Amino acid sequence: MEHGVRSQALETDVGPRRRFEELALPDLRALYRFARKLTGDGAAAEDLVQDTYLRALNAFPSLRDPGRVKPWLFQILSHLVTDRHRSAGREVPLPSPEVLDRFSLYDLISEEDPLPYSDRLHDDFLAQFPDEEVRAALLALPEAYRVSLVLLYTEEMSYRELAAVLDCPVGTVMSRLHRGRKILERELWECAKRRGLVRTWKAGS
Amino acid sequence: MRQEARVGEDMESRKLSCELAVQQFFAYLDRALKGEPLEALEAHLEACLDCCDKLQFSRKLDAFVKDRLGEAALPEGIENRIRRALAG
Repeated sequence: MEHGVRSQALETDVGPRRRFEELALPDLRALYRFARKLTGDGAAAEDLVQDTYLRALNAFPSLRDPGRVKPWLFQILSHLVTDRHRSAGREVPLPSPEVLDRFSLYDLISEEDPLPYSDRLHDDFLAQFPDEEVRAALLALPEAYRVSLVLLYTEEMSYRELAAVLDCPVGTVMSRLHRGRKILERELWECAKRRGLVRTWKAGS
Repeated sequence: MRQEARVGEDMESRKLSCELAVQQFFAYLDRALKGEPLEALEAHLEACLDCCDKLQFSRKLDAFVKDRLGEAALPEGIENRIRRALAG
């Protein structure tokens, strides 16, 4: 129904679509870069970007400030990811926020000392991970945390800019970026255990 | 005894300071800390080598993950495909 209304509008008035393309397509590269890092897959990223543009064209009349088209597009893409992955059910089970906030990969590496002959223990621990495993750990993050972290890493936005894109208070951004990194640290530790890099019998590990 | 208690209190307050400091590391790395909280954290870091090491690790971990997200070239023909999709 929604698609039908949009098609009808386009058939009768080509002008707004041209204007939309002129305004929004220059951000294609940035949007694709963001989508690629979020999905870890070229075809999925391309679909996501195309869906973002279709939804944006539909919502174009509601864009009040054409100068803010880029954050608006990022916002639409972020919402699409959140909506899609909410039902996908591929997230890792999470401990309570209190347990998560206390989690420290640094401390665990120090305590377990998985590389006893290393004089750069923490650096050498990280060097054990192939790129794919780091990406897999990031992809396993619940979408709200993943979107926030990838936006920060890719676009280097301030917390205020992130809050505008994610449509949430700055405090929520701060908490998602903190907790998202903690979940990632925990995922890397779990990954190290699976690979036999650290012992698994020790209490608290 | 009294002196021991004072040492214990000092250690306790130091521990709390470290806990609070660690909670603010990511905001610090993201340049989101300003004013008094920033000054308090920097003063703590000047005096606490443990926290400096932990902060350094957090900074490295950020860069480590960021580097591994990779860069991908824009797929050939994507703009035309999107233009066609927009045209319905």
